[in-house]
Amino acid sequence: MATTPTPLEVRNIKKRFGDTEVLKGLSLEAHKGDVITLIGASGSGKSTFLRCMNLLEQPDEGELIVHGDPIRFKQTRQGREPADKKQVVAMRAKLSMVFQSFNLWAHMTLLENIIEAPVHVLGQSKKEATEHAYALLERVGLTARAKAHPAQMSGGQQQRGAIARALAMDPDVMLFDEPTSALDPELVGDVLKVMRDLAKEGRTMIVVTHEMNFARDVSSQVIYLQEGLIEESGTPAEVLDNPRSPRLKQFLTPNH
Amino acid sequence: MLDLQGYGPRLFEGALVTVELAALSLGLAIILGLITATAKMSRSWLLRRVAGVYTTLIRGVPDLVLMMLLFYGGQIGVNAISDVLLYDYDIDIYISFNAFAAGVLTIGFIFGAYMGETFRGAFMAVDAGQIEAGKAYGMGSALLFRRVRFPQMMRHALPGLSNNWMVLLKTTALVSVIGLTDMVRVAAEASRATHEPFVFLIPVAVAYLLIASVTEWIFARLQKRYDIGFGEH
Repeated sequence: MATTPTPLEVRNIKKRFGDTEVLKGLSLEAHKGDVITLIGASGSGKSTFLRCMNLLEQPDEGELIVHGDPIRFKQTRQGREPADKKQVVAMRAKLSMVFQSFNLWAHMTLLENIIEAPVHVLGQSKKEATEHAYALLERVGLTARAKAHPAQMSGGQQQRGAIARALAMDPDVMLFDEPTSALDPELVGDVLKVMRDLAKEGRTMIVVTHEMNFARDVSSQVIYLQEGLIEESGTPAEVLDNPRSPRLKQFLTPNH
Repeated sequence: MLDLQGYGPRLFEGALVTVELAALSLGLAIILGLITATAKMSRSWLLRRVAGVYTTLIRGVPDLVLMMLLFYGGQIGVNAISDVLLYDYDIDIYISFNAFAAGVLTIGFIFGAYMGETFRGAFMAVDAGQIEAGKAYGMGSALLFRRVRFPQMMRHALPGLSNNWMVLLKTTALVSVIGLTDMVRVAAEASRATHEPFVFLIPVAVAYLLIASVTEWIFARLQKRYDIGFGEH
């Protein structure tokens, strides 16, 4: 697959849960090196939007275009589904996700977690994947925990481990779903530092977050969601420092 | 010294039949159980229905009746096939429906239904986030099953599985009704011939206990292995 400058394009995504329309037509374009942050109150649809991007949620309408290649869908009795499972698997292997609750595989050591998908999905040799894994572990400061199981690690360590797992896929786009929301306050800093470094080195990232300072410092684009619609979008200076909509202004007021 | 009055070798052979029968039935039951559990959790209405009928039927009919139904039914089926071969294709073969195979099939079939329930509960107990992570990292359903769902399900399934196994082991004692010579049948024959039932039945009871204890130890080891990574127990 040729690497075009637009690794991920999302057009007019709509999603209903029962009678409630949670996403009412959302679009974004992630160009290489973009850091896009999605902000908004709980229930604004930002996590669902992110989860539609790798099809952990099935959007009812809309398009996903990966490197110019649109994901094909078909209609079934249960609703719309991807037509080609292989295409979805290949797409997901290029988009790594970091979850709010880490979701490291509990029965594997940290090292095994990191080499799992590179070996079994990408087909790398165990030796090659392990070498890469150790380099990543050093980078996130967890070399000493390689043989530990997730349950033996703090939340911050687990999340940095999960970022290493994501990096091991050498992804085109990294999706972060509120990566610091489940952490104790004193552990947030270490995780954000790793993410700031990733942004600095030009990783393409889409981040759902409540960390406004982080969003201000690293974003190329900030998107404010309100009830399943994009209320405002632009640079951090535009959206965070000069908000136009009253609801965004209220959202940005401390202790709103 | 215990005098088995010349029945020793036959009792031993009977014990081997019991062990082989139980082990092979367990294997079949596990495979059927995994298939049943998958069918019960499937999105297809038909698969769910078929699996539901299977478990209801098995759990509602006595093992002994099922065993005879399958054995005699199997023999009739095999005869019908060999008739067709003889008259329509002029192939003359005699197939006897093997009692051992019938035993394995029946017991495997019965316990597949119980295993199905055990596995279904165990699969549902796996944290959804663990499965999402697999999907998000590009695992297809076969890989996800092998690398995440199965190993994580096992720790929930093992207590029930071990329980089913103990019942299965004892159910093998029923196979003498379809003509299989397991250790219970040898002991019964010997008891009748010698009028000394305890001489034969007590060793048989001890043999069952021995098999049960060894396998219990194996299950405890397996439990330890699959509990790795899930905190203290």
